[in-house]
Amino acid sequence: MDSPANETVLRADGLAKTFHLGFLRKRVEAVREASFDVRRGEIFGYLGPNGSGKTTTLKMLMGLVFPSRGRAEVLGRAVPNREAKRKLGYLPESPYFYEYLAPEEFLDLVGSLFDVPRRLRRERAAKLITRVGLDHARGRPLRKFSKGMLQRIGIAQALMGDPELVVLDEPMTGLDPIGRKEIRDLMLELKREGRTVLYSTHILPDVEMTCDRVAMIFAGRIRSVGPLSELLTARLLSTEVCLRKDVGHIPQLPEGGKVRQTPDGMLVELPEGTDVDAFLTAALAAKSSILSVTPRRESLEDLFVRQASEKGAP
Amino acid sequence: MSRVIAIAWNTFREAVRNKILYSLLFFAILIILSALAIGNLTLHEEVRTIRDVGLFGIDLFGVIIAIFVGVNLLYKELDLKTVYTILPKPLWRWEFVLGKWLGMLLTLAVQMVVMGIVLAVVLAAEGASFDVPTAKAVWLLFVNVMLVTSIAVFFSAFSSPFLSGFFALGCFVVGRSVPDIRALGEKAGPGAKAVLDFACNLIPNMHLFYPSGAIIGAEEVSVHRHFVGPDYILSATGYGVAYSIVVLILAMLIFRKRDFV
Repeated sequence: MDSPANETVLRADGLAKTFHLGFLRKRVEAVREASFDVRRGEIFGYLGPNGSGKTTTLKMLMGLVFPSRGRAEVLGRAVPNREAKRKLGYLPESPYFYEYLAPEEFLDLVGSLFDVPRRLRRERAAKLITRVGLDHARGRPLRKFSKGMLQRIGIAQALMGDPELVVLDEPMTGLDPIGRKEIRDLMLELKREGRTVLYSTHILPDVEMTCDRVAMIFAGRIRSVGPLSELLTARLLSTEVCLRKDVGHIPQLPEGGKVRQTPDGMLVELPEGTDVDAFLTAALAAKSSILSVTPRRESLEDLFVRQASEKGAP
Repeated sequence: MSRVIAIAWNTFREAVRNKILYSLLFFAILIILSALAIGNLTLHEEVRTIRDVGLFGIDLFGVIIAIFVGVNLLYKELDLKTVYTILPKPLWRWEFVLGKWLGMLLTLAVQMVVMGIVLAVVLAAEGASFDVPTAKAVWLLFVNVMLVTSIAVFFSAFSSPFLSGFFALGCFVVGRSVPDIRALGEKAGPGAKAVLDFACNLIPNMHLFYPSGAIIGAEEVSVHRHFVGPDYILSATGYGVAYSIVVLILAMLIFRKRDFV
């Protein structure tokens, strides 16, 4: 039995989905193998490039698409399960809502699907509208909402059932930097409230800022799962030395070293294994002025690109 | 049941805010009102003409609206992807289909009432009343509309609105012609008769809901003179409800297995 902190709230076990498209029933393997688990109270990022199978995986977890193979459990129950859905909030990718409804009407509808009593529904809807910053849009039909506003009402509807697990499909897509920050802050707030968040994205800086653990999917197959700190190698990839422009001269570069101009001066990139001390000593001897020395370790982007370019990736 | 009611109410609200439905209703009312003018062109048959044209208008537009809304009922949810937001909620898929259907039925009931009221006003303008036979005829047309809706929903569970509309309209036209098809079978050979009889048993008999002019119990029924009794109304309603339930269950079964890609 998992301890509460490590309790698994969602488990995908060998999920796969093959579609048969068109008259000739052409096989398209949207998801080949997705296995991962999401633990209580964490923010879990589901990363992958466009078309890698993120949305299809989430749809299988939400019971919108039936898996061809594998199984999934949400809150201890096999998907799809109505009792599990009661504790689940979901925001689909590029959400579309009933455009003729005003936000309070829409949230009221969602609340009634969760069997929330009318009075509580109204209170909760009012609080959520305030929470997502849509007070000014009360009474306005959703068709008049901007993309960012729709995303916000989408998050409000995902929270209407007071869920333990919140699943967001590409919640930052199409948002400006302020909108993205608001969503990031909201996810962190949900975590502080003790909720678990699973979200899919291909926007890596957001993942680095929010996620406890991630899973990376490429061409329908999950390549790595775990905490970011474990996935990113600690090894030094290179060292960047910035030298002031027109002061002294650059000492001889080691093999694989590169130089490029920057507004402040010259940026020298020393490959892994270079004797950096010796290079700096040589630079000082050549009367160069050293502005900065930056060791470069593997970033999430490096890992993402590395995994994407590995054999079998798209 | 509260979830079904929530979906039904939302479907009704959507219809109420749909301008196309108002346009269709407007044309239906126009046809019923035109009965007044057509009636005045006849000699001493004004009330009869108004009643016939009025019921024809209610029938025609009731069916058009039923097909128009019915074929779009599920398709629109898929096309606009609103279903992605609703189905992950604690709701069975059959509850969703039932809620949509009930909401539409409520919409059609309100429209039938509006058209009935307009017909009553037009009849009153000619000094006639919206009598019991007329009320029975409108009720039968409503049952017919309910059946057409169910068939449209059934087809829309697995095909495009165009095809669903085509099939639903086909069912309506053939369903209204069931007595003619049976009569044709009587004249045909035994093989063709068996096929036509089988088809007539499978296709909804929508002639039941427009019995004026038919011979029932060795007597010709007419909304103007001797119309059908309560037994007929009850059995026709039972038939319409039972047929609707069957096709609705089939629609639910299809919807239950669908992937929402």
